[in-house]
Formats: sequence, C-alpha cells, structure tokens
Amino acid sequence: MSGLSTAVQEAIEAIEAGPQGPSVGAFFDLDGTLVAGYTAATFYGDRLKGRDVSPAEFLRTVVTAVDGELGGDPTRIAHVAFSAMRGESEEAFADLGERLFRSKIAGTIRRESRALVMAHQRAGHTVAVASAATKYQIAPVARDLGVEHLVCTQLVVGDGQFTGATDGPMLWGRHKASGVRAFAREHGVDLAESYAYGNGYEDVAFLSSVGHPTALNPHRDLRAAAARLGWPVLDLSDPVGGSLVAAGRTLAALATMNAGVGAGLAWGAARGNLTEGRNAAVRLATRLPMALAGVSVDVLNEERLWTHRPAIFVANHQSALDIPVLGRLLDRDFTIVAKKEARWDPRAMVGSVVIDPAWIDRSDSESARATLDGVVERIRSGTSLMIFPEGTRSATPVLGPFRKGAFHLAAQAGVPVVPIVLRNTGELMRRNSLVLNPGVVDVCVLEPETDWSTDDMSERIAALHAKFEETLARWPS
Amino acid sequence: MSPSSSSSSSSEDFERWGDAAAWSAGTELTPMQTLLWRAERHPVQSSTTTVVIDLDRAPDWDRFVAATEWGTGLVRRLRQHVVEPVVPTAAPTWADDPTFDLGYHLRRERVSSREEMLAAAAQVALRPFDRSRPLWEGVLFEGLPDGAAYVLKIHHALADPLGTVQLLSMLQSGRRAHTARKPVGEEQVAPAAADPVDLAVSGLRTDVSTLPGAVRTTARALGVAAARPQAVLASTLRYGASLRRLLTQAAPPSPELSPRTGKQWSFLTFEAPLDPIRTVARQGGGTLDDAAVALVLGGLRRYHLRRDHLVGEIPVGVRVSLARADDLGNRFAQAIISGPLSIDDPVDRVAAVRGEVLSLHTERALEVLDAAAPLVNRMPSFVGASTLRTAAAPDAFVLTLPGPPRKRFMAGAEVQGMYVLGPLPGAALTACLVTCGDTACIGVNVDASAVADLAALEECLAEEVAAFSG
Repeated sequence: MSGLSTAVQEAIEAIEAGPQGPSVGAFFDLDGTLVAGYTAATFYGDRLKGRDVSPAEFLRTVVTAVDGELGGDPTRIAHVAFSAMRGESEEAFADLGERLFRSKIAGTIRRESRALVMAHQRAGHTVAVASAATKYQIAPVARDLGVEHLVCTQLVVGDGQFTGATDGPMLWGRHKASGVRAFAREHGVDLAESYAYGNGYEDVAFLSSVGHPTALNPHRDLRAAAARLGWPVLDLSDPVGGSLVAAGRTLAALATMNAGVGAGLAWGAARGNLTEGRNAAVRLATRLPMALAGVSVDVLNEERLWTHRPAIFVANHQSALDIPVLGRLLDRDFTIVAKKEARWDPRAMVGSVVIDPAWIDRSDSESARATLDGVVERIRSGTSLMIFPEGTRSATPVLGPFRKGAFHLAAQAGVPVVPIVLRNTGELMRRNSLVLNPGVVDVCVLEPETDWSTDDMSERIAALHAKFEETLARWPS
Repeated sequence: MSPSSSSSSSSEDFERWGDAAAWSAGTELTPMQTLLWRAERHPVQSSTTTVVIDLDRAPDWDRFVAATEWGTGLVRRLRQHVVEPVVPTAAPTWADDPTFDLGYHLRRERVSSREEMLAAAAQVALRPFDRSRPLWEGVLFEGLPDGAAYVLKIHHALADPLGTVQLLSMLQSGRRAHTARKPVGEEQVAPAAADPVDLAVSGLRTDVSTLPGAVRTTARALGVAAARPQAVLASTLRYGASLRRLLTQAAPPSPELSPRTGKQWSFLTFEAPLDPIRTVARQGGGTLDDAAVALVLGGLRRYHLRRDHLVGEIPVGVRVSLARADDLGNRFAQAIISGPLSIDDPVDRVAAVRGEVLSLHTERALEVLDAAAPLVNRMPSFVGASTLRTAAAPDAFVLTLPGPPRKRFMAGAEVQGMYVLGPLPGAALTACLVTCGDTACIGVNVDASAVADLAALEECLAEEVAAFSG
C-alpha cells in the first residue's frame, strides 16, 4: 500500500502522463494547501505567548479579523500585523520562522501535498510556492519540500529592520494571480499547461490563471465555485493531532512496555539464561504496547530481516516510534548505538536495560573509538546492530545526509548492511511529541548490501541514500 | 447562389421562423422584468436597447413594411402592450393592443452620413416609450453613402439585449429574394383584454389563497432557525458578508468618467475580425466575454493615459452565467468587478479579467437581485427604483451577444453589421460586442456629459480594437 488516497494517486498519474519539463509550472498555495491550518496563526500565537502584544493591538487585530470575515477587506489584518512588526530585526524574525518550523509547522505539512510536489519535481516541472504569506513563513517549508521558487508578499527591510510596509501589494486574491503570471513570463512557464493548487475562496483568480487548477481541501465558497466551474477537488487527509484517547493509549503502552521488560527479565533470570530473557523482554516490550496504542506494522520483504544476520541494520529516523518499531522487527539478538545524552531519556531507559546499547560520547572521540571497537567485537560474536545513519531525527520525512560510522563498522566487522525504510512513523508520533497516534507503519526492507570497504564507501553510501529517497518517493507495492 | 444552397437556406429560415412564432409565449412579466418595468425612469434609469443594423442597400420600402407587418404577426408580443394591475398585487400582463398601428412604430428618415444616422439613432433612443403601446420602434435611415441602416429600439420588458439579437436573427432571411407563403403566427387566443382592476383583484385572490401555505412555510423556516440558531446565524452572516463584498469591494469610480447625467447619449460603433480577438482570449485563458471586457478596458486605459490621469482599476459591470461558467446558460447575474487599467499587455489583461469574473462564483449573494425581485415588486415602484440604484453603478457595462452565424437579409438588403447600444443605468458607457458571422460588431453608448473629450475616447477605443486585431 502506498498510503495515498485513490484520488491523489490518479492526480499523480495524470501529472506523470502529462507534459514534462521546466516549461510546465506547478504553483502551490501555502496555508491550508501545503500545510494544514494557518502559519500566520502559529506566528501570532508565539507573539501572544511572548507577551509582545499590547491589549490595544490585540483588540485591533481581533476587530480587523472579524471585519474581514464579515465582508470587509480581509487583507487589512495582515497589514495590521505588518505594521506591528515595525522596528523588529529581520534576522531574529527569520530565526523565529526556523524555530516555529521545527517545533510546530513541520508537523502540519500534508503528506499527500508532499507527494504531489514530488510528482511535479520528478516531471521536471518548475515548482513554486505562491502565497500571501511572507518568506519567513514559507522558506523553511519550501526548503523542506525542495521547492526553489517563492511567489510571495515582500516586506520592506531597512538597516536589518522591518519598516512595517510591504514592497508591492500583498499577494492575495488578484495580486497573487498577477504575481504568478509575472513569474511565468520571467521563467518561460506556459500557464496553459501548468498546474495550481489552492484552498481559499480568494484563490479563484490564482487558480484560473493556469490550465490545470485544483481546489485542494477547499473553503466552502471555493468548493461551490469549483463545482460550478468544473474544477477538480482533492480532499487530502490532515496530519493527525494527538487526541486524549491517543494520549491514554500511549500511557498504557509505556506502562506495558516497562511491565514487559520486567516480566521478560524475570523469566530469563528464573531460567538462568540472560540472553533468552532479554529477547523475551524485547518481544513483550514492543508487541503488546504497540498493539495497545493501536499501531500495527506492514512490512515489505520481511524475510530480508533474517537472511543476513549478524548485520548492521540502517534506518531513516523521524520519530521516537522508530525504536520500538525496529525493536519489534529485529526481534532478537540485536543492540543499538546511541549518544550518551539519550541514556536518561525516559522513553529510552526501559529499552536500554534490555538491549544494552553501546553508548557513545560524541564529545570525546578517543572514548567513542574505544566504544566502537567493543561494538565490532559484539557484532562478530553474533549480535546485530541497529543504527540511524542520519544521526538525529528529522522534523519531516525528508531524508538527511548519511554519516559514515555505520558503514565503517560494517567494513571492520565484515558484515552486511541491511537497509530499512520507515515511511510514516513521523505522522503517528511527531517529533518532540509524547503522544502516539494509532495507525499502520509502512516498512520496506531493501536488498542487503555486503562486502563493505573504505575504497568505494562514499559512492556506495550515496547510492544507498538515493535508494532510500527513491523508496520514500515511490513506495513499492 | 446555387439552387440547392438557396433551398437549404430557406428551409433553415422556416425552422427559425417557427421558433420566432413560439417566442414570447408567457403572458406575465417575470419578476425581474417587472422590477425593471416598474423601476424605469427613462433615460437615467432606462431599460431601452437600441440595435443599429447596417444594410448594403436601401430596401424597397413597401416590401420592408410588408415584412415588418408579417414579423409582428408572427411574433405576437410585438403587437401587445403591458397592462398593470391598479395595485401591485400581481405581475403586469401582456395583452393584445386593440389599437395597434404599424405606422406608429415604423417610419423612415433621410440622412447623408453615418455620423448623422448614429446621432439621430441616439435621439430616437432617448425619447421615452408610450407605455400604453407595444414597446418597440423602428426607423429606416436612407440616403447613406454605402447603403442604409435600420434602427430598432426595444424595451427590456419585451426583450433583453440577448433576446433582441436572437429575435432579429430569427426574423431575418437567409436569402435576398422574397420568400412567398411565409409562415404566419397561429391566431392565438389572446388573453382576454386584461383589465387593471381585475388583474389586481385576481392577484390579491391568489395571494389570499396561497397565504396559509406561505404562513406554513415561514413557520417551518422559523422552526428550523430556532432549532439550529448557530447554523442559521452563521449562514446569514456569510450571506451578508458576501453581499457586502459585492456592493463595496469593487474599485472606486474613475474621476475621468464623471459627472454623469445619463441624459446625453452618444453612439459609437467599431468592427473587427473575430478570429484575432478569439486568439487573444484563448492566450489569456479566457472567453470572448473576457476579451470584450479587456478590450474596452484597454481603450479606457489609452483614454486615461491621454488625459494624463491613469487609475489602477475601475468598476466594470459584467454578466456572469449562473450555470457552468463556460457554457451559455440561461441564468445570468449582473455583477461588478474591478477592471484593471494598469495592464498594458492585452493577453495579461484578459487573464486578469478572467480571474475577476471567475472569483464572483465564490459569492453566494450573486443572485440577490433575482432573489429580491419578487418581494420588491410588491412595494410601490420607488422602492424598486431605489433597489436598483443601491447596486452601485459601474463606470462601464460590457456585454457579449451571439448574433447570426451567417449572412442575413432584410427585405432584400444584406445585413452588414449589427450593433447593440445598451442603456446607461448610471454608467459612463455601455459596450456590447455582437458576433456577426466572422465579424465582431462593437456598439458603445457613451454618456457624453461624463467624458471630457469624446473624440479622443473614440480614437482610443479604435486603437485598442486595432491592437486586438493584431
């Protein structure tokens, strides 16, 4: 299964069947289209929390917002916000944008929107985000999606500070449409062959400037207009937020995990076989809690998990959920390499008792090397190793660069590397979230790779990285 | 002309004439027609459409009179007048005018130039109708250097501009020669000479008999509202917001197109090949309607530049189909868009107009005038008149009408162009593009009091027509 709705799959097939190349444009609205919800609200919420907002400004904002809803000028709210930013440093605001992206906005990018963006990128189309938002909201999202072009509202900056004015009109409604047309002229994009995706009632002019408009999760008035104009409508699923029930199930799962560890170890101790006890503990500590949390696993090529042991298993990393999922897949006779700081993380502690990780002190390379030498010994004696070569969790499903450590270990220990691609753990348990949402985790085990040596290591790592990306882009069925 | 094509064109004629006879079947005015009829304050709030038809020669007058006589017999409405109930409890009704006299409605005049003819046509249009007679008037202008012109003035209650062009296309002939034994309208049982008092009484009686039903419907609606106050409130607010946007969010009127009195009409006509205009429309992703709006805006842009007073946008009245946007449905709403004057490139201007027009489809209050018409009609006529005035007048109205697809003849004279000059309900100009075969006939009615330099405006519009023609 690919996890995309039939309608989205059909849309992607139509893109693949249509004209290719950079003369075809694909324009995506940001708020409500690429991401669920409003990024401006996230920024404003942050200002409110930081008490940067005076009661008078707050009142003015609310009145303007309500007036905009009731048929007044809906762009005035933005101008109120822009003028309130006068004198603020552009750099600090850009940093805030990055911070809010990692902590909040990254998790709201719709998976199916990402799939559409990637389909256009594979077709070689000129992809752009077209939005009334500012680049501080858009740039981190665009970078994460690999989108180079922004067609957006520009704020005037003088001496590194905002002046409170915009450079040109706010790219809303007709101005977004004319911005897109101007972009098309500059970049040699043929609008009649191009695509646009938007959700707001003000997006009609923007959508109508291309030959292939799509109303994506449309506002009710855009939905009515799309029906009248015969435009396709796509309804994408939103990233799941943590519900109370999900939180309760997560707690139960954590408790079970601990109980499982205890029971498994006790059983091992009673039988006088510590290894068996550990393996039992892993099984109890992963299967039961995941079942309780409503998480199941759908594995492609499961047999490859067993054909090459001992091995070094490498996987991409988006979520704290990755560890129990991999624990459940590897099942027995494995350990992990973890950074020393993670030793006291409550989510890792239970596991650490069971699988006895090799803790690496990243600040001390001498001791790190010694630890890894010990790890090579353990691998040779039959314990497989699991490593996340990206080194850290990504905020989104975008793959980070691979570090070389795992592959050096494979060369030293003379064991194969088994690549495991995890597709949607980040959606079930977001970065920095303690809540696990129910769902199916898609896993694909790639062809194991043997005979690692330092000679061609960089090329092979690059090739493997490309395989991960390809698998994530086109999930095999 | 070969015999076969002549016979096929005459069988086509018979088919069209059959349609013409079936035209105008209803006896009551529709709510919208009623609103326009009762609210009329000619010429400032006028419902008069004037059609100027260029003919390649002056037709034989007797044959022309006979043909018109036949046409009024075929299309009964041309011999009927409107009867108003004494109090507005019912819609006005069409009834045969027992005093119908073709001589009152059709006459001929001699002019020596086209300009003179257009000036005379504007005067014909400015004179009010006798509201107790059939609502049309025709003048054949002879003595023009290259032929003749037939000017037909018609009231909106009888036919809107679209209906007028359809009617004329239907009545014209596919061949130059006379067609003997043309079909004549069936002797319909004309509605028994309608009496204003009877009409009011029967309207009242209908109201009374439907009252219990109306009360029940209202009570049910109130019940629903009481059960789901939030939903009703939200939807009312959304409707109100949409109405407010439609009434207030178009661009402010241009100072170069005021002050308007609505009492000095000036008729301008332009012709251009259709194909290049359609090409520009297609390049901009728009329809012929969008291109027509963009063309008029381009002319006004040139005029504003020449007056050294360019504004970014002006309010333009357009017709929006309430059916699917790209097919010619029968349900239309009038709405005002912000027409861009700042865009130089015709293709880009078409695209911008396209975006503005399609954006109207998100407005749930688009049909508000249609929805309000039946209610407003029960009020004294000044209510209707002020209702129409509330809909803020744009600087320009632009309309596109499909004319005859092929060559047509009137009493042996070939139709060479058909220009529709619409009324000026508060606007500085009204432009209509009629497609006649492969030609676009553009008629512009200008409020001469609103335009400081009429000759310059005519030149600017002509330059833009040339720019669209490639």
